[in-house]
Amino acid sequence: MYDPLQATMRVGASGLEAQSRRLRVIAENMANAHSTGRTPGSDPYARRVITFESQLDETADANLVRVASVEQPRASFRVEHMPGHPAADANGFVRMPNVDLVVEAADMREANRSYEANLQAIRQAREMITMTLDLLRTT
Amino acid sequence: MIDAVSSLSPSVGAPAAVGGVGTAAVRPGAASATVDAGADFGAMVSQLASHAAGVVRNAENISVAGIQGSATVQQVVEAVMSAEQTLQGAVAIRDKVVAAYLELSRMQI
Amino acid sequence: MQLFSIVSRHNQWLAVRQATIAGNIANANTPGFRAQDVQPFEMAVAQARLAMAATQAGHLSSGPADAPATELRREAAWETSMSGNNVSLEQELLKAGEVNRAYRLNTSIAKVFHRLIMTSSRI
Repeated sequence: MYDPLQATMRVGASGLEAQSRRLRVIAENMANAHSTGRTPGSDPYARRVITFESQLDETADANLVRVASVEQPRASFRVEHMPGHPAADANGFVRMPNVDLVVEAADMREANRSYEANLQAIRQAREMITMTLDLLRTT
Repeated sequence: MIDAVSSLSPSVGAPAAVGGVGTAAVRPGAASATVDAGADFGAMVSQLASHAAGVVRNAENISVAGIQGSATVQQVVEAVMSAEQTLQGAVAIRDKVVAAYLELSRMQI
Repeated sequence: MQLFSIVSRHNQWLAVRQATIAGNIANANTPGFRAQDVQPFEMAVAQARLAMAATQAGHLSSGPADAPATELRREAAWETSMSGNNVSLEQELLKAGEVNRAYRLNTSIAKVFHRLIMTSSRI
């Protein structure tokens, strides 16, 4: 017979891992917000986006989560006029990454919130197991 | 276990029936309802003993299953608590029975 | 004593509910995911009672047949996002807090009554 509380810990752990990877993708985006190409007219860093999908654990009837993909959605890069730049094209325009720091910062806050919520679920499941085991304690 | 006692001998002033605990408790004592009230005292005591042994054995099995991971924590805890309660009652009655027997054996004929 | 049986079933139901809440929280960002919840405890108990009545009368079964069959049902959550996900973290965490409180109450009650029985049979 499966233990729902053990299943809860596994579900929470999958959530933690998913949100961790999400945070990593966001951090990469933020770090590369100004990373252009190296050769004239080349493409800059393209923003990456993570997608999740749910995974059903049959024995436990629990909804785990996992990373479905990390993609670079098609977007147009904005251009800046920097004639002396190594990546400047014939007209002196450099294509810049499509990373909006404000959007990434908001996404990061969301990811943190989700991470904390998953942590809370794990903590409470652990407390419930502890309370059950405490019934056997005589002191 | 105490409900097994009260089901055997209604004349015994058993306290409000303390039923078995939890979902995993085995109840062989339910079969004791077939013994007539006031019947052989020895039979009653031996049935109580086997009931207690059964509950403890059940707790043992569930604990092993718990260690292997096939039983939940809750099931193990319930089975152990039930065994504790049953065994405690059985031991108390056994002590009284033994004391009574010793007193009897000291009687002058 | 009925008390231990009721406490046991309620705790089992609470544990399943906690697992469901955790699943909702973990999938708070999964596109198209609909939040789930378990059926109310009274309904689960009623279903279990029906199941028990179906077996031989007077036969006190123990084991999985006693466990309330908690089915999951889709929940009407507070809002739905553009991706079709309707998990609200606040709502889930609120429920989790309730579950924890109820579980703590149950185990405390069980502990006290167990202690009472142990001391009362220490003739």
